Amino acid sequence: MTQIVRSKVDPFTLEIVKDSLVAIGDEMFIALAKTSMSPIIYEVLDYASGLTDAKGQLLTQGNGVTGFIGMLSDMVKQTLKKFGDGKLKEGDIIIINDSYGGGGSHLSDVGLVMPIFFDGEIVAFSANKAHWTEVGGKDPGSFSNDATDIFQEGLQFPSVKLFNEGEINQAIVDIIEANVRFPELSLGDMWAQVAALKTGEKRVKELCEKHGKELFLSSVDYLLDHGEQLARQELSKLPKGTFNAEGFIDDDGFGNGLFKIKVKVTITDDKFVADFRGSHPQVPGPVNCSYTALVSAVRTIFLAITNPSQDANDGVFRPLEVITDMGSVLSAERPAPVSIYWESMLAGADLIWKALAPVVPHRLNAGHLLSVCSVVLSGQHQDTNEPFLIVEPSVGGWGASEGQDGARGQFCIGDGETYNVPVEVAETRYGVMVDEYSLHTDGAGAGQYIGGSGVIRSYKALSDNQMVSVTFGRNKFVPWGMKDGQDGSANEVYIEKADGDVDGPFGIYPRYPLNKGDVVKLVTATGGGYGDPFKRPADQVAQDVKNGYITAAQANESFGVIVNEKTFEVEGLTKDRQRKGQ
Amino acid sequence: MRVATDIGGTFTDLVYVNEEGEIGVAKSHTTPPNFEKGVIDVIEKSGIDQTAIQTFIHGTTVIINALTERKGVRTGLITTKGFRDVLEIARGNRPDLFNVRYQKPVPFVERYLRQEVEERLNYKGEVLSSLNKERLKEIIQYFKEQEVEAIAVAYLHSYVNPVHEIETVNMVKELWPEVAVTASHEVTKEWREYERTSTTVLNSYVKPIAASYVNRLHNKLIENETDSQNYIMQSNGGTTTFNSAKQTPINMVESGPVAGIYGAAVLGEILDEKNIIAFDIGGTTAKCSLINQGEVKVSTDYFIEKNERSAGYPIKVPVVDIVEIGNGGGSIAWIDGAGSLKVGPQSAGALPGPVAYGQGGTEPTTTDANLITGRLSPENFDYEVDLDKVKAAIKEKVADHFGMSVEDAALGIIRIANSNMLNALKLISVRKGHNPREFSLVAFGGGGSMHAPALAKELGVKKVIVPVASSVFSAWGMLMTDLRHDYIQTYIRRLNQLDPSELNKEWISIETQALKQYQEEGVSEDDVLFTRFADIRYLGQEHTVKVPVPNGEWSEETISEVVERFGDLHEQHYTFKLEGTPTEIVNLHLTAFGKVLKPELKRLTSTSSDAQEAYKETRPAYFENSGWVETKVYYRSLFGKGMKISGPAIEEEPSASTVIYPDQSLTVDEYGNLIIETGVE
Repeated sequence: MTQIVRSKVDPFTLEIVKDSLVAIGDEMFIALAKTSMSPIIYEVLDYASGLTDAKGQLLTQGNGVTGFIGMLSDMVKQTLKKFGDGKLKEGDIIIINDSYGGGGSHLSDVGLVMPIFFDGEIVAFSANKAHWTEVGGKDPGSFSNDATDIFQEGLQFPSVKLFNEGEINQAIVDIIEANVRFPELSLGDMWAQVAALKTGEKRVKELCEKHGKELFLSSVDYLLDHGEQLARQELSKLPKGTFNAEGFIDDDGFGNGLFKIKVKVTITDDKFVADFRGSHPQVPGPVNCSYTALVSAVRTIFLAITNPSQDANDGVFRPLEVITDMGSVLSAERPAPVSIYWESMLAGADLIWKALAPVVPHRLNAGHLLSVCSVVLSGQHQDTNEPFLIVEPSVGGWGASEGQDGARGQFCIGDGETYNVPVEVAETRYGVMVDEYSLHTDGAGAGQYIGGSGVIRSYKALSDNQMVSVTFGRNKFVPWGMKDGQDGSANEVYIEKADGDVDGPFGIYPRYPLNKGDVVKLVTATGGGYGDPFKRPADQVAQDVKNGYITAAQANESFGVIVNEKTFEVEGLTKDRQRKGQ
Repeated sequence: MRVATDIGGTFTDLVYVNEEGEIGVAKSHTTPPNFEKGVIDVIEKSGIDQTAIQTFIHGTTVIINALTERKGVRTGLITTKGFRDVLEIARGNRPDLFNVRYQKPVPFVERYLRQEVEERLNYKGEVLSSLNKERLKEIIQYFKEQEVEAIAVAYLHSYVNPVHEIETVNMVKELWPEVAVTASHEVTKEWREYERTSTTVLNSYVKPIAASYVNRLHNKLIENETDSQNYIMQSNGGTTTFNSAKQTPINMVESGPVAGIYGAAVLGEILDEKNIIAFDIGGTTAKCSLINQGEVKVSTDYFIEKNERSAGYPIKVPVVDIVEIGNGGGSIAWIDGAGSLKVGPQSAGALPGPVAYGQGGTEPTTTDANLITGRLSPENFDYEVDLDKVKAAIKEKVADHFGMSVEDAALGIIRIANSNMLNALKLISVRKGHNPREFSLVAFGGGGSMHAPALAKELGVKKVIVPVASSVFSAWGMLMTDLRHDYIQTYIRRLNQLDPSELNKEWISIETQALKQYQEEGVSEDDVLFTRFADIRYLGQEHTVKVPVPNGEWSEETISEVVERFGDLHEQHYTFKLEGTPTEIVNLHLTAFGKVLKPELKRLTSTSSDAQEAYKETRPAYFENSGWVETKVYYRSLFGKGMKISGPAIEEEPSASTVIYPDQSLTVDEYGNLIIETGVE
């Protein structure tokens, strides 16, 4: 029996205020992108913004990527912990990038929190968190794939006041300016974040003025309860029981690895428990993630399984529980390095995905590229001699599923409304030329439904002394196929030197030097296939060959279809396929 | 006589204005797939003398239909070597964040029809490798074999230097004159290869469709001895000739809807209202757009099929900025999984339509709620209305769920629908830094005037204008349009390093291009009017602000003036400016209007200001705070100049009604427009 949220207040007014809250979240989100200085924010949309209630429960969040779902509440809760008992004043803004508590991901993600007062009382918080292109540390771009502790990874903002009652704390601004490589970017983004927070504050106050504080607060409860009800209904439809999966994280950046990780998912009528105990302890390299980061990943896949289309708030996650050991690679503790935390965080999500895909096939698909496949390329522009810095994720192949081929060239689960940088924009801004941006049609991921192709993107250096760092996970363990579909292929990076030498393939590589004419070739994975390849209709296989997604030889070998290489007509089925009677 | 015809989903509308300024309207059914038949039908139905048509303006959904129904032609694409997959990779984004089974939009050109040729420019437009013509010949031959009907050409950096695209088009025309071909620089000169390629492909995809449609329509007009100047409405709010419409049909993608927005601006000009919010409610959607200081905002950030769940397809041509939401008269009210009332985006459409239509509709809609609350009367419908059935639907689907009366539930539906529309209206106004108190709201479309007075009050707008012929206002807007072409050239320059003489040359070159195009279209230079904009940002930002900039020659002072203006606009939109931060131009944007003679509006002849003469009846209507109120109802057709009516009141006209709330009042102006004071201080 469906339990319905009821309230004494007029239900339509509650609904209208609730919708207004969601609209405020959207407005704050757009404001930030439009004014940001950094491609990582306005193209990758590597940020989130939203509102929480007075206790730090998430009410509405505008997301560009999935990875921040859940971190805003922790930032606010950390702020409340430190500045409870009336130490927060109207006009205060707190800056925080604590990687372990307080909404931790890595130091590059800088959060701002602002209490919203009405009638002298905190009614909500406005909060956002954005990836700053620079927070200092040992490497340009700050996040480093060979850091050995947090101190190498940049400036730490341990929940301190950036604004005191509306007055900027200039000392902090000066410290930032002195410690980061592109201060105009970092501070520009900071101002964009401040403006977005103030927008949220203004709108919430308008709502309180219009409807009264009491009604506003009732709407907040209504919103959270409404989210919880929707989640519980979806939960009730899931198969009950215990589901296990194991996997490996490739590498920690120092050649250590493989690190085994595991999950036990228990679904009951009213709980969804992800138990990661028994996973590998935290490691020397920066591939560790903190507990809060893992929770965000679990939330992401929980939403994918329960109801991908709903607006997320903390009510939705009430049935969710995440258990880990202390100090594991999935719940790292200070001062473990966490720069490239997303690799382990996403591996955690992938485990749940893999455990549940067979039983929730209408919502989940076969394995995908999984890694953010991040690229940091720095150098000087060949025409202006100005320094440039590329910080970007890569698109790759996604897994197939019942009734659907995998998506080709799409950012991984940790990203989302993330945009690649157009070739024409990249060549104007950066000291590189793009030789190729094409699908990586290696024919992996064969199946009744085929895995989506990854891509090849090649940057040719146009000046000397450039440097590229790549973090391509899922380099040793390829995307998994499902229901007799074949596995996909690996993410990998090659360096093609101007003199013809080729180095690689690499998964993780810090600071590879590039000189004029050298090419870094970024190749991403093809996703896993779904179902027996022999079940793919012969005509469709022939069309795949015509389109160059697979070769005629692969059609023969993997799919059992003989395709004429010139006319692309089906000439027959192999004996294997005939024997299997497909 | 000027005649405008506008093809809609169900009806094809006609509005004409004769030499005396008299306006007439007609409606007939839309006739897919031979849309031109509906146009001729409606002309005949209107009874006008076809030989007296001097100017014929046409808005059409043929292009958008061909795109969304995938009824275009088999298209081949030629790209720079290494980049044929750009169309398929697109931007790699996944708007439906938590849906891991997200499906990317399928490219309009399958991979085997995307072919690559050696050629390369750098970002400055310098040729690094010349075009491989042998390879090009092979591709053209291959396309012939594959029975391609249209070719799109999109090379890297062609927005700076189109030399290779031009060579390619010339070769295609030489070797295969029959095939339709479009090069990217012909449709857009902005950077970003995916967006430009997508626009080019879509233009090619519909080009033969557009040509044959325009030709058929033209022939029909000639058959009927109509010797008129013929224009087609474009998405930028202006018109173009039949010939140029055939070349770049993608410019007609929003041909119909923008005319109403443009009409609102024209009406504002006549009434001396420079700040307008144009608001249009139809059967399935509500659309709104903000006109600031008389300027209809145009941008190239347009997509088809883009929503929260899908990335859609970008079309980088100038389109009037419209926010559209799935909330119209036919929008369905429903209860979600956790018991909340929602309205839309599902619509009962024209068939079966609202329950009130009695055509088999079972789901309660906004129109049904308006009927139950007395805002509409059963007489307003073309159908026999079964009130009990409507009540039962609202009771069963909404009221029972909340344990409330049918009229409270109906009012709830209206309030939720209004809340959705209010969010859209806020999106274009307050959230862009505009104060609604400084704007008047022009309401049109079948449902615009019904909801506008309440919404305007909520938004903080003081005045609502319901124009004459508000239900066919888009066609009226077309009557009032000028020719318009937009030229947008990506031109990346820092303002502090800008050489005014170099920039002046660029402006002049764009203006020369515009004059040349108008000359070809038979418009004399004296009738061409330029407006310039520059898309500017702080160095490092991605998004730009469109800044109106001066015509004529620029000096150093002009540049600092422009920088200052940009800073103010940035602050208005985003609450802050960054003093001292360098600024950068991204695009130069020239709007060139070809002015045409338009008739003066006719004034009302009746001057009776006694509202009693237009009185129809008194019936109960249900309002938020006052419950059932005996409300006077009036015929609009009997309104005279200066007539005043105080709320609560309802005004009825064919296919629209206006609801005046208890604390609001209505005045009829000299043209017959309804001017409503909303009660906002």
